[in-house]
Amino acid sequence: MILARSADCGPGLPFAAVVALRYLRSTRRDSFVRFLSLVACGGLAVGVAALILSLAALTGFQDALKEEILSRTPEVAVDVPPDRDAAEVAVAIAGVEGVLGVRRSVEGRGWILSEGRVRSVLLEGFEGALPESYAEAPSRGPGVYLPERLAASWGLEAGDRVEIASNRPTLTPLGPQPRVLRRPVAGLYRAGRTEQEDRLALPLADAGRLLGPLTERVEVDAGGLERAQRVATRLADVLPEGVTVRTWRELERGLFFALRLEKSVMFVALSLIVGVAALALVADVHLVIAAKRAELGMLGTLGASPSALRRVFLLFGAGLATVGGGVGLALGLSGAHLLDRYRLLRLPPRVYFLDHVPFTVRLADVAVILLVSLGLSLACAVWAAGRAAALTPVEALRR
Amino acid sequence: MSVGVSVRGLEKAYEDGARRVEVLRGVDLSVTAGERVAIVGPSGSGKSTLLHLLGTLDRPDAGTVEIGGQAVGELTGSRLAAFRNRTIGFVFQFHELLAEFTALENVMLPGRIARRPLGELEERARELLEEVGMTRRSDHFPSQLSGGERQRVALCRALILDPPLLLADEPTGNLDPVIGDRVFDLLVELQERHGTTAVVVTHNPEIARRCARLLSLENGFLHDGNR
Ligand SMILES: Nc1ncnc2c1ncn2[C@@H]1O[C@H](COP(=O)(O)OP(=O)(O)OP(=O)(O)O)[C@@H](O)[C@H]1O
Ligand SMILES: [Mg+2]
Repeated sequence: MILARSADCGPGLPFAAVVALRYLRSTRRDSFVRFLSLVACGGLAVGVAALILSLAALTGFQDALKEEILSRTPEVAVDVPPDRDAAEVAVAIAGVEGVLGVRRSVEGRGWILSEGRVRSVLLEGFEGALPESYAEAPSRGPGVYLPERLAASWGLEAGDRVEIASNRPTLTPLGPQPRVLRRPVAGLYRAGRTEQEDRLALPLADAGRLLGPLTERVEVDAGGLERAQRVATRLADVLPEGVTVRTWRELERGLFFALRLEKSVMFVALSLIVGVAALALVADVHLVIAAKRAELGMLGTLGASPSALRRVFLLFGAGLATVGGGVGLALGLSGAHLLDRYRLLRLPPRVYFLDHVPFTVRLADVAVILLVSLGLSLACAVWAAGRAAALTPVEALRR
Repeated sequence: MSVGVSVRGLEKAYEDGARRVEVLRGVDLSVTAGERVAIVGPSGSGKSTLLHLLGTLDRPDAGTVEIGGQAVGELTGSRLAAFRNRTIGFVFQFHELLAEFTALENVMLPGRIARRPLGELEERARELLEEVGMTRRSDHFPSQLSGGERQRVALCRALILDPPLLLADEPTGNLDPVIGDRVFDLLVELQERHGTTAVVVTHNPEIARRCARLLSLENGFLHDGNR
């Protein structure tokens, strides 16, 4: 097809390669063969490029999503059941090698009430400084922290008092009574971009009063995601029975599984393009064999062995596959680079947690894509080329 | 260099569904080395079939073909292909040059299959093309050549490896009489010079006359022809 004249018939090139190259070049002449070759080549190129681009976009999204979610996930979490003293455990953890910091927290469900309005919220009790996940929340003294959005819609400001109710009743001689605390708003925070739910932060002691007794969590700063596993192993050795230690990976296991699954499904679905292109390749090779039938018969009479004729078409198919795969590779890689570099695919800023589609190309992904595409095409070429070997010269010479 | 050909009790039938066409029913033939033999016969009598069997392109139902003492029925696959490549040159009524290759490259093809050194091969091909007066046409593609020119190229291609046996099936059948005679002159000239054994199938009485021996194929048997 696109092969330069100088590229072929060099001295010493094996006979099969010479014929294959000539046939590749000749596809320009026969319009039908040219069409099928283009479909095969173009299909392969489109398939490879589509696979590279979509896997790169997916990887980009997934990386951003992981980063976002992991910013709200502790590196290591130690869950302390109610019958143990969480404060003691926290002190023990702080003494373990590799632990840079600890923070106790509790979590539960409840409601926020203000002037007759009520909303369900996730209650998070914290100790010491406000956790990082409550971004941009300047503190105005003690009290609770609300999402900006909620405060805006209810017309609340720092200093206003709200009521917090828990879903745990207190049993009294008069029957179960709701636990309610009245607290000032200490500050507002901007919610993370993937958050679905309103969170409300309040001091650990208040949270204990509303939600206790309950399993407390000690969040451990291990100094990086990669170090989490090592620190978690050490913690598990030190801590008493009944206390569970989990790393961020275990905490978000469902997420990572879903992301991997998403990628695999995408890969399989898009591989179908390559599959169709490979079938076009089979048709193309068959067509060329049919068109060159008489010539192949003649080559047989000249002493070309069946396996040499098979090789001719194997190389023919491999040539087309290489051209198609190469073009696809170039398109995919350069496309991903340009789209990412210049942020060409914009997203509406308020709708999604990213303002553009990020493209991240993983070498391993590209390797698998090329392996699958070229492997499939070659398998198809082998299949199709078998027909050339099966042709007997007499059969081919009869018209 | 040349070889003798010995054929014993050759039978060949084509089965086409219910119909069975017995084409050859016991053909015996001996050709001595360097001899030029013509085979004539009515259309459909099986001349091409016989030539294909001689050329190891097809297998007989019964009987043996020996070329230079080699029973060709014993060869298969790439050994058979290699034997054909080294031993037999073919010229057919339709030239079947490869469209993608120039005249010179077409002539060189058997040598490429045999993996001969390219330099030597090209030199030999140019010599042959010169012998048939095609020097100035050697870089043309078949589509740029006339029928006679193509047949001359095909003749050169058949002879490039100096095969001891030349099989020709109506080599001039597709050419006008004048050009046909000219091509056959060349064939005879080359064949005699190289001492090649030749079996020529032809309808042309003039060509038949110029062969040392004339055989006619009729009803599945080969008879000595009357001249
Ligand atoms: N593959 C085949 N299947 C069925 N019949 C065949 C086949 N090949 C040849 N025949 C038959 O065998 C007979 C001999 O064919 P062949 O081509 O050998 O004749 P021929 O003597 O060369 O004729 P012509 O002079 O016209 O070239 C014919 O009747 C033909 O129809
Ligand atoms: Mg015939």
